[in-house]
Amino acid sequence: MAADTVFGSSHVLDSSSSTSSHPLSPGAGVVPAIENVVSTVNLGCTLDLKAIALHAPNAEYNPKRLAAVMIRIKEPKTTALIFSSGKMVCTGAKSEQQSRLAARKHARIIQKLGFDVKFNGFKIQNIVAAYDFTFPINLIRLANSHFKFSVYEPELFPGLIYRMKQSKIMVQVFSSGKIAIAGAQKRDEILKAFENIYPILMSFRADK
Amino acid sequence: MGDAFCSDCKRQTEVVFDHSAGDTVCSECGLVLESHSIDETSEWRTFANESGDNDPVRVGGPTNPLLADGGLSTVIAKPNGASGEFLSSSLGRWQNRGSNPDRGLILAFKTIATMSDRLGLVATIKDRANEIYKKVEDQKSSRGRNQDALLAACLYIACRQEDKPRTVKEICSVANGATKKEIGRAKEYIVKQLGLETGQSVEMGTIHAGDFMRRFCSNLGMNNQAVKAAQEAVQKSEEFDIRRSPISIAAAVIYIITQLSDDKKPLRDISLATGVAEGTIRNSYKDLYPHVSKIMPNWYAKEEDLKNLSSP
Repeated sequence: MAADTVFGSSHVLDSSSSTSSHPLSPGAGVVPAIENVVSTVNLGCTLDLKAIALHAPNAEYNPKRLAAVMIRIKEPKTTALIFSSGKMVCTGAKSEQQSRLAARKHARIIQKLGFDVKFNGFKIQNIVAAYDFTFPINLIRLANSHFKFSVYEPELFPGLIYRMKQSKIMVQVFSSGKIAIAGAQKRDEILKAFENIYPILMSFRADK
Repeated sequence: MGDAFCSDCKRQTEVVFDHSAGDTVCSECGLVLESHSIDETSEWRTFANESGDNDPVRVGGPTNPLLADGGLSTVIAKPNGASGEFLSSSLGRWQNRGSNPDRGLILAFKTIATMSDRLGLVATIKDRANEIYKKVEDQKSSRGRNQDALLAACLYIACRQEDKPRTVKEICSVANGATKKEIGRAKEYIVKQLGLETGQSVEMGTIHAGDFMRRFCSNLGMNNQAVKAAQEAVQKSEEFDIRRSPISIAAAVIYIITQLSDDKKPLRDISLATGVAEGTIRNSYKDLYPHVSKIMPNWYAKEEDLKNLSSP
């Protein structure tokens, strides 16, 4: 477990990543909370958006703004964008399983309206996680030393955007100590990015 | 004066060379033997002691390495006040038949020059902005972008690279039609393009409040003492954890300095000069107030003056 490697045990059986034995690595159980999962699925048939908008409960359709119907369900609390080609985007779920369940529920709504829906190619496109470090962070020093990876424009956005070198994960770091990790397609990409960023942010604490 | 064979007289006759018209005329029958002769003597005389500003050997403006042919072609200018629905002179219409490949570039450079004139920027910044624009244009993927925002972002990046940053709001004010958001997005796009092209060569430090202090203070007409005090205060304030945009901190520091001095500037003037909203200056003042005694230099304001400062 991670707790063993933190204390530098010599009986480390698995070759964990070098950051696990780093003294500033996150302890056991310190993990960012997943806030949003975005997934797509192909319903496999063309849909009549106007009919769906008229008959489905909680549906929004504004063709001038977006060529898709927005349907919201209460449990899990999610929003789905349904396009006339049959493709659907499901956002707002708090975990991967919930996202799959919600996508199935949305597909069921469309099925009840009489369309011949299938559930093809369900894929999780984006997972967003958040974590609060509770200590303020000095963004200017972080931006200066990690200038290759960070973009900090206080005029445009108050948070520093940190793009990992190895992956396409993006971390938004705010001076209050809260961070948001986005761009992952799997849960362990988020955990790996969190393990990488944890020691970096610890070294840029702003309180005495 | 010479002898040549005249075709009318059919014999060698004395021939007069008329310099003013460039004609070779037979003196006996008056036939013009050759016209339009090219005078190859020297056009002007050069004296050793007189240099002057005009060196007749050099013609045209400075060569522009960014343009395809160095900017050699001649452009027909539109006559003043004579513009109708189309270019008034047929020459102008011929010029703009659109064969030269640089037309877009020249127009973009002209727009950048107008914008930098309005802001009063030096020629180095303008040239750097031109370079940046050319580098971005070389990659054809920038077609669909808002041209104004792209040019404004080029200027913004050029100012930053020369260590004379201008706030996005200032650039907004001279860029016609580009919003802060569009300029921000265009700036990210350009930085990415420049990074792709010449791996990671884009170097832009973060902005600091001190960079803008001089300009804001002179816009408000503060006296030298106040300006120096403001710059010192802003330096000291960077040590404290004040979570505000550097421009807002600068505006709040200016507000405090002017409140401590004799001529108190109203919030509206400071808001106009810095581009920060009045409410934001008030909120930044609230954030700065606890540290005001540590930030203010004590040669400028004494403790009693600080106590007199209105508590937010």
